[in-house]
Amino acid sequence: MNFSDIINTLSADTRASLPLFGPELILIGTIVALLLVRLFNADKYLPGSIVAIIGTALALARAAAQFWMMQNQTSGSAPGIQDVSAVGPFPMFTGLLLYDPFTVYFRIFLLLFLLFVEWLTVVTGIPDLEDAPDFYVLLLGSTLGMMLMASANHLLMVFLAVEMTSVPSYAMVGFLKGRKSSSEAALKYVVYGAGAAGVMLYGISLLSGLLGTAHLPSLAQALVEFGRTHTSLADDAAVRTLAFAILTILVGVAFKLSLFPFHFWCPDAFEGAAAEVGAFLSVASKGAAFALLVRFCLALVGESRTGGAPLSELYMNIGVALGFVAAVTATFGNLAAYTQTNMKRLLAYSTIAHAGYMLMAVAAMMVILNAPGGGSLPPSVRIDRAATCIQGLLYYLAVYFFMNLGAFAIVALIRNQTFSEEIADYAGLSRQSPLLAACMLICLFSLVGLPPFGGFAGKFMVFASVWDAGKLNPLMWIVLAAGLINTVFSLFYYIKVLRFMYITPPADEARPVNVPLMSDAGLHVAFVTLPVLALGIFVNWLSELAQNVARWLL
Amino acid sequence: MSEILKHGPLVVFGATAVGGAIAVVLTQNVVRMAFWLILSLGAMAGLFFSLNADFVGTAQLLIYVGGTLVLLIFGVMLTASGPFVSIKSSAGDLVKSGVAGGLLLTLILITACQVHWESTPAYDEVGVMSAGYNATADGNTTRPLGHAFLGARPDKDLGRPPTDHLSPGYLLPFEIVSVHLLVVLVGAAYLARAKKRKA
Repeated sequence: MNFSDIINTLSADTRASLPLFGPELILIGTIVALLLVRLFNADKYLPGSIVAIIGTALALARAAAQFWMMQNQTSGSAPGIQDVSAVGPFPMFTGLLLYDPFTVYFRIFLLLFLLFVEWLTVVTGIPDLEDAPDFYVLLLGSTLGMMLMASANHLLMVFLAVEMTSVPSYAMVGFLKGRKSSSEAALKYVVYGAGAAGVMLYGISLLSGLLGTAHLPSLAQALVEFGRTHTSLADDAAVRTLAFAILTILVGVAFKLSLFPFHFWCPDAFEGAAAEVGAFLSVASKGAAFALLVRFCLALVGESRTGGAPLSELYMNIGVALGFVAAVTATFGNLAAYTQTNMKRLLAYSTIAHAGYMLMAVAAMMVILNAPGGGSLPPSVRIDRAATCIQGLLYYLAVYFFMNLGAFAIVALIRNQTFSEEIADYAGLSRQSPLLAACMLICLFSLVGLPPFGGFAGKFMVFASVWDAGKLNPLMWIVLAAGLINTVFSLFYYIKVLRFMYITPPADEARPVNVPLMSDAGLHVAFVTLPVLALGIFVNWLSELAQNVARWLL
Repeated sequence: MSEILKHGPLVVFGATAVGGAIAVVLTQNVVRMAFWLILSLGAMAGLFFSLNADFVGTAQLLIYVGGTLVLLIFGVMLTASGPFVSIKSSAGDLVKSGVAGGLLLTLILITACQVHWESTPAYDEVGVMSAGYNATADGNTTRPLGHAFLGARPDKDLGRPPTDHLSPGYLLPFEIVSVHLLVVLVGAAYLARAKKRKA
């Protein structure tokens, strides 16, 4: 290549990438539109919420069209998405981002969730008309970062995306001005977030310095080379440095996922923030962080995904370690949730516990891909089972989307009428507002993982993949056992909430809650809760979709 | 004449840097101090540029002149009230700071005197260090950076087969970070402004 070749290729590459970057570009346009609408004083006629909803819907439509095109391109040649090479993953912007079904799946996930949250904020009236543009700019900006997180293919983009997600959410947590708990929560979140980002950046610079590249596919190649020259795990300083670098990067992700030693911000932030913001943080940012974690783990494993890679012992240990972190996180979240009296705090601990369950799927994937004794399982079976892990994770996330949003939405609606988020104040809800009580019941039972609801299907898939991993590494049995015990245990504190709603009579001076089905609030809750039920009964459609997406990735 | 041209910028920038620094010490008004500091640090960047160290010069401008001083000005503007507007130092402070400054000056002088300037690469005729730089490639410490921010990596891709993928350039982060800054500024403005009272 000479210089003009480089410029020509670059310009062709950018022109090919921009249409694929469409949903993100629409979000950016919406952010600018939100600010312009206020600048010209038009927000009396065109409220910020409407602008945000239109923009999000357009971006969602674009992403859905991309997914549809992807499906059609591939299913023409063979049933399902079997032929990966037909439309290979396309690196956007000289390889900084990756455009593949996984990216598009998460775009749809995040944008759909954004749309639901915007709908919820319209229903509950937070933010008011004056603050609406600020709030939606922060919300959209944060979602933009999450979408980059899901498609990142370069460590620089990883860091940038994590920051783009975090910094607006700090401001969103402190959005309710003049409330001490809100500002305190935001401050705690900022301090923790800054610390975690610093540690993560340290790991990124260590890793890219050690291997000479920050581009994830080149990183995988460099790791293979690295593994050839450094074989022993125990007493090689370079391998220890590598392990340390990976560990510190995972710390950054663990902060976003609120995994066990890095979860302290989560209950405070959720309690201080409005329930709408809590819903956004608990689902969208978790989903994006899991996408990032899966991408990072697969980049480590690289092309040799059938065990026996030079450093597979190290990777399997990482998988087992992730499994134990997952088990401890789930246990801790459930134990701490038991004593809570504030509903948002309880949901925060439940969020921590669920991050633990979902992390088990990633841990199982790492173990399955890297367990020694490659002869015992043919490579294609390994890939199949690893794909099942990601499939379980994707399905779990989809169910989690609805059940957690439902729970937070009900908290927000009750808060609007009784000004309370204490569990004790939910007493007698089933008589005042049967709809809210019934929807809360469905969401909470689904969070436990009881059979007719979506949570069961998700949990079943994740535990099944941990079972598969247990056959390759007995340590994973412990993780599985911890997951099962936790599921049983979590029943108790969810039931406690339901007991207040259904059995305890309301206090005499309590403010009544009145949300009929035929109101915007009632419809919203019903719309969010119905998929929880549907995903528990009609599992096939989404699970096949998730499987196809997972297959593409591996 | 050529001597003046060669050393002129060096002398001007050097004098401004030193003069500004002395003025910082002698002024007692905080805002004026900040202004003199801008002058001194900016002249320092000029010194780097005149020595063809573009990257260090840019970093000096961005980090010290830009970042630190914007912060300082904001800090001064927000806190400049009452006793902090003008700083009068007591005799004890003068002694303490004099001792600390004098020690630092001694350290720098000793370090500078211990370098064997004869054996380092000398200035050649055009006033440019001969090792690593040449007049035609003026600016070659920042050019690869600039290219990388525009997305092209000639430092890596020149001479590779034309069918290869491009090495990752940083056009996207360079652009997307502006969106991030916009969002964050909106958030900062929201948190900083007082809520309007409802009439």
